[in-house]
Amino acid sequence: MALLEINGIDIAYGKQVTVKDCTITLDQAEICSIVGESGSGKTTVIRAVLGLLPGGGKVTKGDIIYDGRSLLSLNAREWRKLRGHDVSMIFQDSGAMMNQTRLIGKSFVEYIRTHEKISKKDAWKKGAEMLGRMRLPDPDRIMHSYPFQLSGGMRQRVGIAMGMTYEPKLLLADEPTSALDVTTQAQIVRQMMELRDEYGTSIIIVTHDIGVASYMGDKIVVMKNGQIEDQGGRKHILEESSNEYTRKLIGAVPSLGGKRYV
Amino acid sequence: MFDEKDVLLEAKHVTRRFPAQGGRELIACNDINLKLYKGKTLGLVGESGCGKSTFMRFLVWLDRPTEGEVIYQGKDITKLKGRELHEMRQHIQMVFQDPSTSFNPKMKIRDIVCEPLLNYGRIRHSQKDQKARELLEMVELPGDFADRFPHNMSGGQRQRVAIARALALEPEIIIMDEATSALDVSVQETIIELVTKLQKEKNITIGFICHNLGFIQSFSHQIAVMYLGNIVEVMPGENMAKICCHPYSKALLDAVFDTKMDFSKKIDPIKGEPPSPLNVPPGCPFQDRCDKCAAICREKRPHLQELSPGHEVACHLFSKEGSV
Ligand SMILES: Nc1ncnc2c1ncn2[C@@H]1O[C@H](COP(=O)(O)OP(=O)(O)OP(=O)(O)O)[C@@H](O)[C@H]1O
Ligand SMILES: Nc1ncnc2c1ncn2[C@@H]1O[C@H](COP(=O)(O)OP(=O)(O)OP(=O)(O)O)[C@@H](O)[C@H]1O
Ligand SMILES: [Mg+2]
Ligand SMILES: [Mg+2]
Repeated sequence: MALLEINGIDIAYGKQVTVKDCTITLDQAEICSIVGESGSGKTTVIRAVLGLLPGGGKVTKGDIIYDGRSLLSLNAREWRKLRGHDVSMIFQDSGAMMNQTRLIGKSFVEYIRTHEKISKKDAWKKGAEMLGRMRLPDPDRIMHSYPFQLSGGMRQRVGIAMGMTYEPKLLLADEPTSALDVTTQAQIVRQMMELRDEYGTSIIIVTHDIGVASYMGDKIVVMKNGQIEDQGGRKHILEESSNEYTRKLIGAVPSLGGKRYV
Repeated sequence: MFDEKDVLLEAKHVTRRFPAQGGRELIACNDINLKLYKGKTLGLVGESGCGKSTFMRFLVWLDRPTEGEVIYQGKDITKLKGRELHEMRQHIQMVFQDPSTSFNPKMKIRDIVCEPLLNYGRIRHSQKDQKARELLEMVELPGDFADRFPHNMSGGQRQRVAIARALALEPEIIIMDEATSALDVSVQETIIELVTKLQKEKNITIGFICHNLGFIQSFSHQIAVMYLGNIVEVMPGENMAKICCHPYSKALLDAVFDTKMDFSKKIDPIKGEPPSPLNVPPGCPFQDRCDKCAAICREKRPHLQELSPGHEVACHLFSKEGSV
């Protein structure tokens, strides 16, 4: 049985249907990459899985089944429990979403303490250790900083550290490495793969980096204009697919020593 | 290849220290010397947290260096104030790394993109609707988005609004801090075609921070590589892959995920601990992670030296004063 089944869902913001007839299934320890057009509904889909659509957003058709039960009928308490233990998310804008007037350490300790009974001191230690694993130098300095004192990529890694603290069964990662240089990105990709290899975590990763999507994904979903345009394995997407948009996308991937505009 | 008379903006010995917890000091930028040439693009790459945004922020008066100056038309612009500063601001625009935090969430997109134009009296209020539509369509967004609020848009859509707003004033210099990292490669291509076209028509100077090496080298005239607050290599934009020689630049190239890579290969990230700006060692900033590190690298800081026209590297391996 699949761990997650997104079954033909439509998602609307107000009256505007934004995502149409989206179906994705994910097995345990499987990684699915979602790529595609900016504004095509990638963030919308993975937010729906976690029941975190912004105001006015709603699943209007279809169902989302996680571990055998429908997520659409969960109440607030059940959602909290699920998000705490089984499913975690790394947000596209995790840096901007942080409380700008609180120390990173304070936010992190609070996050940890909603998940387990642990002293503040131990929670601090655990948080700092997670930051270290994300290749952040001086974890203690980071814990003592406000978000504005960190670089964009450092803030993003704080978000990743939180999302990966409790080996989740399902990790939803929305452009987790878009603000990272390639060497740090390589390290984070490796950490996510290890989460899958060691704990059997299933992952949906949204990314604009077709290289990362191909490296990580057991399958790749291509979205455009609210719909799934194409999907398949790496070979299908990179080489075989005759879908027009997929070809356009792959054709636009910049490469070193490739096309020059100046 | 670059003519000294075309230097538009020059950073000289720019350093930025921040006070850090425990009475320590964090060096975000360390003695940076860089030139931006008229009508050309400088691409800036480097490890997350190495000081790229901190440096670019000096150019748009969001922060001031602790030491050093930034010269434009013979003046140190970091010291401008009042009227002069207001006038100058319209010539240098910036697109921020986190567009969502730079918008007023209560303003409609129409007002956001037209704000700078109204501020500098370039358009009348009655022209706002038309202008907003034009600007949005220029970055491949539907004109109707003018009626939306920033939070009703996707990340990449917001990023394009920020680009449209910066281009609106037709500034002389545009600083783009990872301005396209939330865009799919196809839209990214369209945006860079647009930007380079405007650059040629209006002779715009661009400073571009970006993590995608293939992308940045496709439109940069020069590329600077930064590591732990230091510029370690500056080179012409074409052929970066072939000519770069600093061990850190090479490590960057090795870490690129490519669609033609060997997917069964285990990722082998750069070795060693990530460096700390609180603890910049004497000598070369890259010493602890460099597999060619020699005794001199731990003692003496290498300075940028010219290897060929437009190509400078700060590494003892290439030092003219004698080999390592
Ligand atoms: N809160 C909202 N209210 C109304 N419309 C919204 C809202 N959030 C997103 N949209 C619209 O829904 C569509 C899908 O947005 P979504 O954020 O899912 O795109 P995305 O694929 O994640 O794009 P990107 O790659 O740019 O992040 C977009 O056209 C966007 O304008
Ligand atoms: N206001 C501040 N107070 C204290 N430290 C700061 C401040 N702003 C930046 N720093 C520190 O300066 C260093 C450089 O940050 P900067 O934002 O310039 O990095 P960056 O190269 O842009 O990284 P990224 O690619 O992740 O955006 C970081 O260690 C950061 O924590
Ligand atoms: Mg998104
Ligand atoms: Mg930055």
